[in-house]
Amino acid sequence: MFNITELGKKFGDLEVLKSISLFIEEGEVVCIIGPSGSGKSTFLRCLNLLEIPTSGKLYYEGTIVDADLDTKKLRREVGMVFQKFNLFPMFTVLENLTYAPILINKMKKDEAHELAIDLLKKVGLADKMHMYPSTLSGGQQQRVAIARALAMKPKMLLFDEPTSALDPELVGDVLEVMKQLAAEGMTMVVVTHEMGFAREVADRVIFMDKGYVVEEGVPEKIFNQPDNPRTREFLARVL
Amino acid sequence: MILNFTKAAELLIPSLLHGFTVVIQATIFGFLLATLLGMIIAIGRLSNIKVIKGTLYLFLELIRGTPLLVQLVYIYYVVPLLLNLIAGMFGYKTDVQIASLTAGILGLGINYGCYMSEVIRASILSVDRGQTEAALALGLGKYQALFRIVMPQALRNIIPSLGNYLVMMVKDTSLLAYVAVNELLLRTQTFASQTFLTIESYTFLALAYLVISIPLSYIVKIIENKLKN
Repeated sequence: MFNITELGKKFGDLEVLKSISLFIEEGEVVCIIGPSGSGKSTFLRCLNLLEIPTSGKLYYEGTIVDADLDTKKLRREVGMVFQKFNLFPMFTVLENLTYAPILINKMKKDEAHELAIDLLKKVGLADKMHMYPSTLSGGQQQRVAIARALAMKPKMLLFDEPTSALDPELVGDVLEVMKQLAAEGMTMVVVTHEMGFAREVADRVIFMDKGYVVEEGVPEKIFNQPDNPRTREFLARVL
Repeated sequence: MILNFTKAAELLIPSLLHGFTVVIQATIFGFLLATLLGMIIAIGRLSNIKVIKGTLYLFLELIRGTPLLVQLVYIYYVVPLLLNLIAGMFGYKTDVQIASLTAGILGLGINYGCYMSEVIRASILSVDRGQTEAALALGLGKYQALFRIVMPQALRNIIPSLGNYLVMMVKDTSLLAYVAVNELLLRTQTFASQTFLTIESYTFLALAYLVISIPLSYIVKIIENKLKN
């Protein structure tokens, strides 16, 4: 779905991403791991243009992503789940799910409603649909945020450290929903610190450090026999 | 000296009641103008276009650096003269005049708009950046994200401070007396000079403002408390 060649991102003089080249195939679950400040989140945010890359090329479904490409179309098809959920506080859970489908996808109100309720059932929160986000726990809010992204019927989902802001006992429910999505064949790119999740669910694990992709491969290889000393060092600290 | 409140009340209060409608008109239109202008200035100053930012900043400094009373007098007396002068330079002979209430509303709206724009701007900036990002990530455009997601949250947060500006504006309508708007102060001045009931008249005037501003502040407080929950 994505073909990324020598992608770079600078903030002023600070070079956060230095030449990232990657493919992301349809149906694949890619987990990106690495120390903080390694550029993982920035890279993820370049994929839906929340950050504009300063060098390199990015192809989405064969089309080059640049000023001419319809950014909104790309974002409709590539959903995102944030670390801090970012639900809309003035809307109920249901409205959070139906707002963009009605406004952007021109979905009929009833249809958007039905879809939203189905998705809430899927994440186990149908009983909360008339509540406001602030009354929900972090884990519940993140599951609503996943449902909100799914309500746009995306072809792919980006997850930016989806469990990092959660209390440890709430992480499990969110990961469970993500595992279910992966099993259904959703294309997912997940920036995460949950090594257990990456090992179990990922088709491919990418280790990033200092703005480079240091190593990539199937989880067994990355976690059991990493080639690169920096990967080994990082895993020794987190596992 | 014998105070004659009854006589003053009989004659002055009906006149003040008429003055109330002027005060209410000036406040409502002035406040609407101020809110609109405040939002436009706030959004303009948050834009990336340097010319717009710079111009608005200068305008803001100009308004905040001069007293409201001077601005009112300027709009009422000087602006029409300037317009006539400019028209004259192009060979037209005009006699533009601004109605006193219009001048008053413009002055209040522009002055308050500038102060309110700072509150609105700060409030837009205080809405979590994640709200914009979430909206963009769902496919909303830049302006949809601003007007549909960020602005409602920003305005909701500042309803109490906008309410306080409203109360202040009610009191500042008294300055409109100097541009010949027949509001409460001007009516009282006229009445006092005719009847020499100076103490009585101005006491009633002060009470008249309290009758508006105390309930209004109370309503603002109630709304503030409602929003907190």
